[in-house]
Amino acid sequence: MTRDANDGGGSGQPASPVPLLALRNVSKTFPGVRALDDVSLELHAGEVHMLLGENGAGKSTLIKVLYGAYRADAGTILYEGKRVDIARPADARRLGIAVIFQEFSLVPFLDLAQNIFLGREPRRLLTRLIDHARMHREARAVLDELGLDYDTRALAVDLGIAQQQMVEIAKALSQRARILVMDEPTAALSERESNALFALIRQLRASGVAIVYISHRMQEVFELGDRVTVLRDGRRVATLPAGEATPDQLIGMMVGRAVGAVYKRRRYGTVGKIVLDVRGLTTATGVRDVDLNVREGEIVGLSGLIGAGRTEVARAIFGADAIVAGEVQISGAVVEGGPEQIVARGVALIPENRKLEGLALKRSVQDNLLVASLWKLFPRGWYRAGAAYRHARALIDRLRVTPPAPRRLARVLSGGNQQKVVIGKWLAAGCRLFLFDEPTRGIDVGAKSEIFALIEGLVEHGAAVLLISSELTEIVHVCDRAYVMRAGRIGGELDRAELSEENILRLAMHER
Amino acid sequence: MPVSASSRSVERLARPLPAILPIGLLLVAGAFFAVNGFASARNLANLGLQASILLMLAMPMTLIIMSEGLDLSAGAVLSLCSVVMAESLAGGHGIASALAASIAVGLAFGVANGAMVSLLALPPFVVTLGTLGIAEGASLVLTEGNAVSGLGSGIATLYALDVFGVPFPLLVALATWLATYLLLHYTRFGTYVFAIGGNRDALVLAGAPAWAYHIAIYAFGGLVSGVAALLLTGRMNAAHPTVAIGMEFDAIAAVVLGGTSFERGDGRLLGTVLGVATITVLRNALDLLGVESSLQVVSIGALILLVIVIDSLRKSRRVQTA
Repeated sequence: MTRDANDGGGSGQPASPVPLLALRNVSKTFPGVRALDDVSLELHAGEVHMLLGENGAGKSTLIKVLYGAYRADAGTILYEGKRVDIARPADARRLGIAVIFQEFSLVPFLDLAQNIFLGREPRRLLTRLIDHARMHREARAVLDELGLDYDTRALAVDLGIAQQQMVEIAKALSQRARILVMDEPTAALSERESNALFALIRQLRASGVAIVYISHRMQEVFELGDRVTVLRDGRRVATLPAGEATPDQLIGMMVGRAVGAVYKRRRYGTVGKIVLDVRGLTTATGVRDVDLNVREGEIVGLSGLIGAGRTEVARAIFGADAIVAGEVQISGAVVEGGPEQIVARGVALIPENRKLEGLALKRSVQDNLLVASLWKLFPRGWYRAGAAYRHARALIDRLRVTPPAPRRLARVLSGGNQQKVVIGKWLAAGCRLFLFDEPTRGIDVGAKSEIFALIEGLVEHGAAVLLISSELTEIVHVCDRAYVMRAGRIGGELDRAELSEENILRLAMHER
Repeated sequence: MPVSASSRSVERLARPLPAILPIGLLLVAGAFFAVNGFASARNLANLGLQASILLMLAMPMTLIIMSEGLDLSAGAVLSLCSVVMAESLAGGHGIASALAASIAVGLAFGVANGAMVSLLALPPFVVTLGTLGIAEGASLVLTEGNAVSGLGSGIATLYALDVFGVPFPLLVALATWLATYLLLHYTRFGTYVFAIGGNRDALVLAGAPAWAYHIAIYAFGGLVSGVAALLLTGRMNAAHPTVAIGMEFDAIAAVVLGGTSFERGDGRLLGTVLGVATITVLRNALDLLGVESSLQVVSIGALILLVIVIDSLRKSRRVQTA
């Protein structure tokens, strides 16, 4: 019966009359926020149900209600037509609901098998001791299913972000769930890894699993989705078959006003002198003989699959990793030394993991904005609270950080606004060369546009920007030109006329 | 996904041993050759006995510190357990019931520590500082500040027992090590120690009662203190209300020397055992050299800093060349 739904492709008419899971008029209120407002949602076996909405639209709350991390204030949940109470994560597990979280839920010093089976460790009958052999065997099988060759005895702490994400997926998959919830699973993945995941999702759908898929990538909605539900301000705007929707229509529902699907560069200005000139850069972290340059007024893309060495290039330029061979010139002068010396030359690195490296989450927005420019603002070392507040206010207005509250903790801001604060920190310090590493990762559509508008504003004022992004469309639509990396080397350079997703992929995936 | 046969894209990485290993060996060698009387058979046997109680305290302390916790009350609770055991023996009860009473007291403190840390989310430092005071006060009240003696010969005989040439105290300590090892690596409890220290939310989301396991970590500490009181009381055939206070310092020092991290849930028991051995040898050698106790504490503190500095230098170099 469930197969029929697939044959229809995007017909949106579920074949099974009783939904596998149904939310009826669910509401959830936090102090001051109505996170979910009378939301109803039906989930059928064998469908991929896309969930769209800007950050703060209620998607995460909805997932947490489904998983028993939150309890709804009102409304009911029906499982195969019968009312159920999901009060705890354990209840959700019993019903066969598994979630792939966006915030990673791995334990650093447990190995991959232990992480995959956390909370469900297989134990020997008699002694009740953990059956390591079986656990590793089953973990191996799940990883193989995903086409991953990771050693099940490797510790999670040694994984990169994309690898962590794949293990998260393995973890959820190993639960043999009937309902699988994925919160932006491809946010950290390269094109190739995403495709492997999509193949797997189609396979799961064919076997009757119901999948809830949250995405900020429009392309995925049409590639994968059977039906789409759009949330806005905690309310359900609409549920419709993916085949009948258009990108502009969906985005219009999400933001409540029509915007372009992708950010498009408004103006390509004239470029000036070379600001960053990298020659023969080789590092112990895997970068091999990289040549690249960035000029004033230019956004240069650094593209490639995850693991190709893009982040490593940025770190080496910034002085965070040792350079084995080659040199980095800033404005014509060779630079040496660590990040302090590089920052003094007007270089800013906006790292991929902004929560760990770019922001002090427990400090205020104001503190974060001013931390890199305190000596510039107060050269004599005396901190004046009034001046600091005014300065932070001006930056907040310029960056359009919401809420515009300098004293608010950085932790409570949305991802997009956190990113703006990180950018603002370096703006305040008067930087001229900006290295952006995945600036829009996990950020909603509206905030993405604002961040690219900010980046474009930087180059209009004569700054130089090196932009690392896994989203090919971003590179294509934002950059003046782009370098494509492959296995630690520059695979090729594309000028504006040559910039296209096909060309980038061709360079990135070209076998040696 | 193309996979080369020779190397996996994610491999198990060898983890370097903490610096305590070479430094500890150096210390032992130095004591062996340079300290008069250290190498005598009697002194070496004595070392094993001295290390026993510390090893017992340090085993649960490793798990507690791995869970991003701390137990400052360990020494005071051990003293109280010893007092309760001695009072019970002096009152004419058998060793079994005295041990049961001691374990009950230890467990009660462990559960109290754990409950406040786990359920009320209070900082372990503050919680166990409070229970340290309570345990110490209770010992003094029970004994009116005096040693408890007149316990009969049973417990002293037990302490002096040899099992196939292994002294009873060392046997109990080694059994504690083995039990802790099994708990840490072969039970859910052990897996969740790593999880509570490394990413407690992950455990909650996995549907496990993290709060209960969190309490159990401290309860295990109390339980072991209750058993360790057997050795402490037997050694002197008496109990003194404050005899073990300060021993938590050595236990925490041993754990830290062994390379267990105060954050992220990383730790290993073998490191702690090396830490216990090093501290015991150091104290013993300084005793033989006639160095007073307060200066011994200074030397342990210096040793901790030395090992930590070396480990962190090695780690930063490893990151650079990785």
